[in-house]
Amino acid sequence: MQMKQKDENLDQSAHIAEFLSAIKTKSDRLANYFIFTFFAFGLFLATFYDTWQIAVGVGGLLLVAYFSAKMVLADSDLYQYVLSAVLGIFMAQFIYQMHGLFEMHFTAFLSSAILITYQKWKLQIPLLIIVIVHHALFAYMQYSGVGGIYFTQLDHMSLQTFIFHIVLVAAIFSVCGLWAYQFKKYSEMHIDLIFKKKEIENMELKRANYELDHFVYSASHDLRAPLNSMLGLIEIAKDETEEDHTLEYLEALKGNAERLDTFICDILDYSRNLRTDVSNDSISYKELLNDIEQNLKFMGDNSRSVDFITAIRGDSPVFSDKSRLNNILNNLISNAIRYQDTEKKNPFVKIEIDILEDETHIVISDNGIGIPEESQPKIYDMFYRASNKAVGSGLGLYIAKEALNKLGGQIKVTSKVGEGTAFYIQIPNRQIIKI
Amino acid sequence: MEAASQKTFYKKVLVVDDNPTDRFIAKKMIEKCSFAQETILCESAQQALEYLRALEDEPDALPNFIFLDISMPGMDGYEFLEQYATFPEVIKAKCIILMLTTSLHPDDIERAQSNPLVIRFINKPISRDKLEMISNDFPAEN
Repeated sequence: MQMKQKDENLDQSAHIAEFLSAIKTKSDRLANYFIFTFFAFGLFLATFYDTWQIAVGVGGLLLVAYFSAKMVLADSDLYQYVLSAVLGIFMAQFIYQMHGLFEMHFTAFLSSAILITYQKWKLQIPLLIIVIVHHALFAYMQYSGVGGIYFTQLDHMSLQTFIFHIVLVAAIFSVCGLWAYQFKKYSEMHIDLIFKKKEIENMELKRANYELDHFVYSASHDLRAPLNSMLGLIEIAKDETEEDHTLEYLEALKGNAERLDTFICDILDYSRNLRTDVSNDSISYKELLNDIEQNLKFMGDNSRSVDFITAIRGDSPVFSDKSRLNNILNNLISNAIRYQDTEKKNPFVKIEIDILEDETHIVISDNGIGIPEESQPKIYDMFYRASNKAVGSGLGLYIAKEALNKLGGQIKVTSKVGEGTAFYIQIPNRQIIKI
Repeated sequence: MEAASQKTFYKKVLVVDDNPTDRFIAKKMIEKCSFAQETILCESAQQALEYLRALEDEPDALPNFIFLDISMPGMDGYEFLEQYATFPEVIKAKCIILMLTTSLHPDDIERAQSNPLVIRFINKPISRDKLEMISNDFPAEN
């Protein structure tokens, strides 16, 4: 549960990071357009007072400054601050190029608005600093008589005008900064909300899942309990009669009851495979096969027992879903027993397991009746039964394949009627996948 | 039949099951296979606990096996085990507990197998083969 929580938090922060990186990419593209437009605008302004040197020299330097910062500082956001400064210097360049035309000051507002796209209020700071420093320095220099400054066309600028100028600029930048901040906050809140909703939905789903699971188990238990009582009674009745007909009826009754029982178990397996998460258990094939052998001892007609031949090679640690693995092997091995060839003297089922580091190969072969070639592609279909003698539910191989899918494994079959069947299974080691 | 009746394996088996049919089947099968001389039937976990507690002073009269059903109304098989765990060693040393149930729930199987008091988990219905397997695995002392 705690693990899950952590996963979800991680998921959420990953989602926010992804969202922010999307904003960054989009904003970077916009910034490219704007910075080239600024450069082109500089070239256009050069036509008025013949300031080509400035337009190409300063403008070019600014382009180089921005793009090299972006290349060198690709991993950090610092290049965005460089962009902010570059935009400020462009403003200074335009003011100079137009010999202090007042309207050129507006480019600072344009730059401030452009920077909102990054949704970072701090990006306004370099721009503001450059504007203040530039204004103070150039205004001071022009009015103290230095020639060729072209800061303003006004003959005189009072301190009061200067202060108004700067305060207004600061106010506009602050408002742009505020919008940037609010955009970001809003996006984060939105993502948060989506995740909270998802979490609630997840919880409801889990609850519904749990209830359904519980229901399926209870229902299957309640169906099987009386069925097994019936089977017990049939056994006793068989023991107490010598009547051939009665014995025959009881035998048929038993077969049908067993079929019903298998069917209920298969439905349970199907439902369990569909809805439970894949677990990561340490697997001992030896134990697994032992348990299965024990369980299948009493299967079907106990007149003939099928030889179990097992070979396990390799000793790498194996991690997989124990319950699903048990289900897969159980289905395949019980099929081998169920479809044994009564013509043959010594029926067997051979289970060979090769444990490699990253996957396990399992071959389950028998000398049973075999599967006709035309039926082979259909054996994994739901409710398909290759033999009409069969007592199965037609779900076994379907479930085995579905379970195998969940484990990321594969299954293949080769078979010849009258000779036998072999299933080849390949299952990846989950621990390796996880790393 | 002849051969079976000659060797009665155990003295006593206690069957704890709320379902009368299952109790009947267990008793009948045990008799048929001559698995035990005496079969005590209890229809609830409480009744079984009382029966065992009453025999504390005469350990020879304790059952060799307890066939325990998991799902029973009132006190279930697990609650029985909790109570049983507090019993004196004399009782616990004598009785072998086998869980006899129809449950396929992996939690049930896990829970039963991880309980040190439960020796084995057996699927219902009880049959000749299963009783034979038990008697092979747990040879009678006398």
